[in-house]
Amino acid sequence: MARDEAAALAAAHASVRQLIAEKLRYLIPMTILFMVGYVGLTVLAGFAKDLIGTKVVGPLNLGFVLIALNYLLSWVLAIAYGRIAAAKFDPLAAKATGEISGSGAAR
Amino acid sequence: MTLTLGMFVVILLITLAITYWAAKRTSTTADFYAADSRLTAAQNGFALAGDWCSAAAFLGFTGLTALYGMDGAFYALGPLVAFCTVLFLIAEPMRNTGKYTLGDVIRSRMQTRSSLLAAIVGTVVVNFAYLMPQMAGAGVLVRLLTGISYDWAVIFVGISMIVYVAFGGMLATTWVQIVKAVLMLSAGAIILVLILAQVHFNPLTLFAAAEQKYTAKYLLPGNYLKNPFDQISLALGYTLGLSGLPHVMTRFYTVPDAKVARRSVVWVMFLAGAFFAGTTLFGLAAADFVGQDAIRAADRGGNLTLPLLAQYLGGGKGTFGGDLMLGFVAAVAVATILAVVSALTLSTSGAIAHDFYVNWVKGGKVEGRREVWIARATSVAIGLLAIALGILAQGVNVAVLVILAICVAASANFPVLILSLFWRRFNTGGVIGGMTAGLVSSVVLAMIGPAMRGADALWPLVNPTVVSLPLGFLGAVLGTLFWGRDTENERRFDAFLLQVHTGVASK
Repeated sequence: MARDEAAALAAAHASVRQLIAEKLRYLIPMTILFMVGYVGLTVLAGFAKDLIGTKVVGPLNLGFVLIALNYLLSWVLAIAYGRIAAAKFDPLAAKATGEISGSGAAR
Repeated sequence: MTLTLGMFVVILLITLAITYWAAKRTSTTADFYAADSRLTAAQNGFALAGDWCSAAAFLGFTGLTALYGMDGAFYALGPLVAFCTVLFLIAEPMRNTGKYTLGDVIRSRMQTRSSLLAAIVGTVVVNFAYLMPQMAGAGVLVRLLTGISYDWAVIFVGISMIVYVAFGGMLATTWVQIVKAVLMLSAGAIILVLILAQVHFNPLTLFAAAEQKYTAKYLLPGNYLKNPFDQISLALGYTLGLSGLPHVMTRFYTVPDAKVARRSVVWVMFLAGAFFAGTTLFGLAAADFVGQDAIRAADRGGNLTLPLLAQYLGGGKGTFGGDLMLGFVAAVAVATILAVVSALTLSTSGAIAHDFYVNWVKGGKVEGRREVWIARATSVAIGLLAIALGILAQGVNVAVLVILAICVAASANFPVLILSLFWRRFNTGGVIGGMTAGLVSSVVLAMIGPAMRGADALWPLVNPTVVSLPLGFLGAVLGTLFWGRDTENERRFDAFLLQVHTGVASK
């Protein structure tokens, strides 16, 4: 029995490592995207005021357009994360849970 | 005035009815701290919106935009973007590893007493730094809106929050937040429609009118935050600090599992995000319709911009519509404060009663019914302390504390939390090092900066996050290295990771 438990644990840990690798594949680019989008905008606001003040649509300058785009980006990322997590992460998490739950190693 | 007071009384009666209902359903520690983890994603999403939008957001963002243009829009955007970090990295692991508090996560990772103590210090400092300006703000606001004195306003707010938390625990706090969020979003929607009706449903008119009235400089950045590094500090403080705010993060314990926690973040991003985006239009509309002079005349900081705008849109001063809208917005502002201070009181009592007394002093060996009793008593004590601090804070510059709360959350709590969840070698020394470096650098730099010392500032930034956050991480890494290898902790890390990502605790 003890050997079965150890094997189940090892299998579950391997599945978790796979899950983490899968998460990193999506989360690193997504995190870079929103950090660059938002922190980048504040850097521009601080050091490139003329550029930010360029008129884009009628009375709207580039700064307000980028602010609006940041709202859109956050919302799109939220929806995308929800979908990716349900499609890619949840099955792997369920696999790890399944491997461990039958073995008696879970408490 | 009568209409405003009438609406206060209605909201107060609703929240007391909620508390009565919740009190009958609150008997165990899981009920008290986490509403028995039975909320739905939508419920928790609304509650998160009610929790995260403080009066500074409800009233402040509109005022900042009206008086300073684009910088106000930056202030409003940050709190939405912050939820990206929470969604990607924090919400699900928090739900999977903790029970009631931030300290639970650190404790289950490190299993040492000193790391738990460090986590408690982080929570208590951040919560009190956040709570004190909320109480002081409540005093000023309720006095301005109803005419009762500052001290009585603080006492009224304090006693209300004590009643909600001590009797109704997390369930009452949650529903007070949900009611507040619904009221806030309704007020926002009504104001938005009335504004758009004024400009023939073309929001660009608001920008053109503002530019004509206040020159092109008004629509440029830098009118409020003059130092670019303060802008960057603000951005970092928001995006990473929210993850370190215990009173918001403990909301994830109120849902059954990580999937629901995740969906509740998506809810709050749309609910609160839409409101934040609205405040930028509200601010421009107020600058156009009400005018900066009238806004400054009512309150120099612009905190009465939204009530004034609502009054204008309702038909103006002295009309029934104007008074009704003013009363409604004022009542929502008070509901906003009540929802936030209740959450802070509950989360602080979690750190003191659950983390400190039960787990640190008693090693977890406290009988359930006694633990609930201790938690209730602790929340009463914290509430009374908050009332005292609120009264003492009258006339004191508490702006520095607002900055400090979010700065410590980003520089001390966030590095410790994120490294606990994701770094195998991270150990007790790292928790202590990160907490100390983040906390000390935030406090010292905020105290010697312009927010505290004005023209005599020894260093230029109002918000020190851009420096204190890297120092917090540095402290965490150096602390880990100096502590030496904790092989037992590293061996446990696989089991911990299993729990972080699946919620299953293994032997």
